[in-house]
Amino acid sequence: MTAFTRTRNRQGGKGMDRPMKRWTLALLGIAVSALLWNPAATAAISGVKGDTFFLDATTGFIDTGEGNRVPFWGFADGQTGQVQYPGPTLIVTEGQPVTVTLRNWLPEPVSLVFGGQDNVVAPAGQRGLIAAEARTGGGTVTYHFTPARPGTYYYHSATNMDTQLVMGLFGALIVRPAGYNAADNTTWRAYNDNASRYTREFLFLVSEMDDRFNTAVETGQPLDTTTFFPVYWFINGRNAPDTMSPDRVPYLPTQPYGAMAMMHPGDNVLVRIVNMGVDPHPFHTHGNHVRIIARDGRLRSTNEGVAGADLSELAFSVTTAPGRTVDAIFQWTGKDLGWDIYGDPAVNGHTCVDRGDGFDNTTVEWCVDHGKAFPVVLPNLEDLDFGPFWSGSPFMGETGVLPVGVTRFNFTGGYFMMWHSHNEKELTNNDVFPGGFMTFMDVEPPWIAIPEVP
Amino acid sequence: MRRPIRISFVVVALGFLLGAPPAFSVRWDCPEDLDGDGIRDIDIPGVECRHLAAGDGMVTMGDGSHMYIFGFADVTDQPLDNIVASGTLGANFSAPTITVKEGDILYLTVTNVGMALRPDLFDAHSVHWHGFPNAAAVFDGLPDASIAVRMGASLSYFYKVVTPGTFMYHCHVEVVEHMQMGMLGNLYVRPAQDDNITLRNLGTARFPGAPAFAGFAYNDNDASTGYDNAFVLQIAAFDPAFHNQSEEVQPLPFAAMDDRYPMLNGRGYPDTVNPDPIVTAPLDGVTPSQRLSSLITASPGQRILLRISSLSTTSFHTLESGGIPMRVVGRDAALLRGPSLDNGITPGIDLSYDANSVTVGGGQSTDVLLQIPQIPFVVPGETTYFLYVRELEHMNNDKDRFGGMMTEIRVQ
Repeated sequence: MTAFTRTRNRQGGKGMDRPMKRWTLALLGIAVSALLWNPAATAAISGVKGDTFFLDATTGFIDTGEGNRVPFWGFADGQTGQVQYPGPTLIVTEGQPVTVTLRNWLPEPVSLVFGGQDNVVAPAGQRGLIAAEARTGGGTVTYHFTPARPGTYYYHSATNMDTQLVMGLFGALIVRPAGYNAADNTTWRAYNDNASRYTREFLFLVSEMDDRFNTAVETGQPLDTTTFFPVYWFINGRNAPDTMSPDRVPYLPTQPYGAMAMMHPGDNVLVRIVNMGVDPHPFHTHGNHVRIIARDGRLRSTNEGVAGADLSELAFSVTTAPGRTVDAIFQWTGKDLGWDIYGDPAVNGHTCVDRGDGFDNTTVEWCVDHGKAFPVVLPNLEDLDFGPFWSGSPFMGETGVLPVGVTRFNFTGGYFMMWHSHNEKELTNNDVFPGGFMTFMDVEPPWIAIPEVP
Repeated sequence: MRRPIRISFVVVALGFLLGAPPAFSVRWDCPEDLDGDGIRDIDIPGVECRHLAAGDGMVTMGDGSHMYIFGFADVTDQPLDNIVASGTLGANFSAPTITVKEGDILYLTVTNVGMALRPDLFDAHSVHWHGFPNAAAVFDGLPDASIAVRMGASLSYFYKVVTPGTFMYHCHVEVVEHMQMGMLGNLYVRPAQDDNITLRNLGTARFPGAPAFAGFAYNDNDASTGYDNAFVLQIAAFDPAFHNQSEEVQPLPFAAMDDRYPMLNGRGYPDTVNPDPIVTAPLDGVTPSQRLSSLITASPGQRILLRISSLSTTSFHTLESGGIPMRVVGRDAALLRGPSLDNGITPGIDLSYDANSVTVGGGQSTDVLLQIPQIPFVVPGETTYFLYVRELEHMNNDKDRFGGMMTEIRVQ
């Protein structure tokens, strides 16, 4: 782990210089997309699909959560030329040969390795220490491999890794099972086993950055990787609050991937976690445990396809270690709250008919709790602080009265669960709280449409 | 290292709070309190009521220095009209341990008594039951997505407790600050299987004269998590610069956060093995600031359950048991067992394992069984084993070497 020996002299702290404008933008993005079903906020994993890819390694700048700009090295999808952090998520299919051509515009050679992939060959290109390299000045190298197993993987540069990885030369690699059909949700599985079936999926690629190091690279200063001291923590290349903005917002041109998750009660959510940073993080999922079904692209099973994820385990804080991936299933139903999640049936008219597993088929209400009164008296409004994702009501799908002046971005009565690093220090952007490694899972009422996975 | 507490500041703040009381909204929801005075009148089986005061205080570090903290005090059964007075400057570290049983209903009330040493702050507080399954936003304590309670008022949380295991709780308001400042506590749920006499009696078969198991870590159906005695161990650490900056009303060093007081249950070794409460003078000189010892006592042949959790705000820690192997049986409030593939008829695959150490990150928990040898004595009388952090730079109390995140297992 990093030695925390360096003292930083930076201003920050409570209240004074919080980037409220950015928060407002991000939160408004959520509110607007929740209201208008903005397809940009789709509950899908954005990326480049296919079997032939072109990546340009080049330079750019990212915008951090508190409003800084930091230089980085990244990959651009050759089709668009837009460099991005992290690199394009490559979405491929089990058993189908993949070709990736890398072209290098950086001042030093660059190469690629593909985590978890066997028999990667690069017939041309300059020989490097670990992998075939693309020369500077537009040199190219082409890699060929055939993904043997479905799962969650990554790719990154294998040249000067202590520099090039922390500069941003990495991306996620998702291998779909051979039988996957985007149009048929009965085929949606992470692995060739029904224990990995899902109704929604989200990717959380985490990383961190020491902006001093990036600036030193950019300006040609001597580099010292022993003093690496991250002050920015990212999910999908963004710091909170930008993690909650939709994919491909115009004000974050080099950071196209959001990390806002949405679901309905009862959904089977596949959570793909990739750590491309240098430190381990405990990734805490408010709302419920996850079931860890796979690590490093291997289903936790004694007999994949037959035994299910019989070696899987539950966790409320998932260890995400550098260079490793985790696949987990998250579910949330509100079961056993002990009170009616939709409120008094006489006021908020609703019924509950046990469909066989204790839940109502339409509302996914836990029928045992149907009609049970809310158990405590909530304080007077003047005795409370309100979060922007508080609907004003404890009941799902209901909003309530809030004092004048209170900001509210929850107009549908969803339950927002923070998903974040439990190294709480990492919930900051360069000494400014809040920010960093943090996003939300928004559990929306069943009747509120969420864009489907394409 | 010992720094004076600015008593004048305390007196001024207390005078403000007590001399000109605003209209307090102190109350609690508790079915056991019939007349609403804050004191339980009856005992309803399966119902638990706890009342916490959220505020600030001072604690003593392993090197004897004092540290300003935010924290919780147990004010259960205190008259409601006295909560603010009795809770002010009463913060404990670790926060009061909350213990319930599977099937219980827990009414947990937090009353914000304000930070007397920081009268410039008007922070709200909350309680986040970390890991509560199928949590609803209203009782999750997450300020962004729910409500948090302001100074002089109370908020009651309601939990229908259906999942046994080792959880933890903390304030989630301004979470980096409030957690580093110490609003952290142990919370665990005993399993319903504790009522199963047949399984408990399996303990008597271990060796001649062995007692029945006192309880179980989880509903294992085979007594594999049975224990004779259980202890909580919560990992946390303080950055003195952060606390001093807070006390001095200065900008807080988030990026530079550097924990130099690693602790178990709110104390650094050798305070961890002090069986008595620690009083931090000179607040009132009476009320303990750190009640929870980490001393583990056992007799030969016993099986000890350690409920280990971490609320470190900066890093992972590895706890090593020297001499007594660990049987790791649970993680994150779940039995280490794969899922049953036939709805519980056949148990899942046993994933528990033997180890000499466990690695626990912030917000993670691990349940460990220690099998004390039948003949543990190197020399007759008492044998001491050690449990300590393998990140050896955390075996200190700031600049005092050999202390910090370590405790003893005394077999006698």
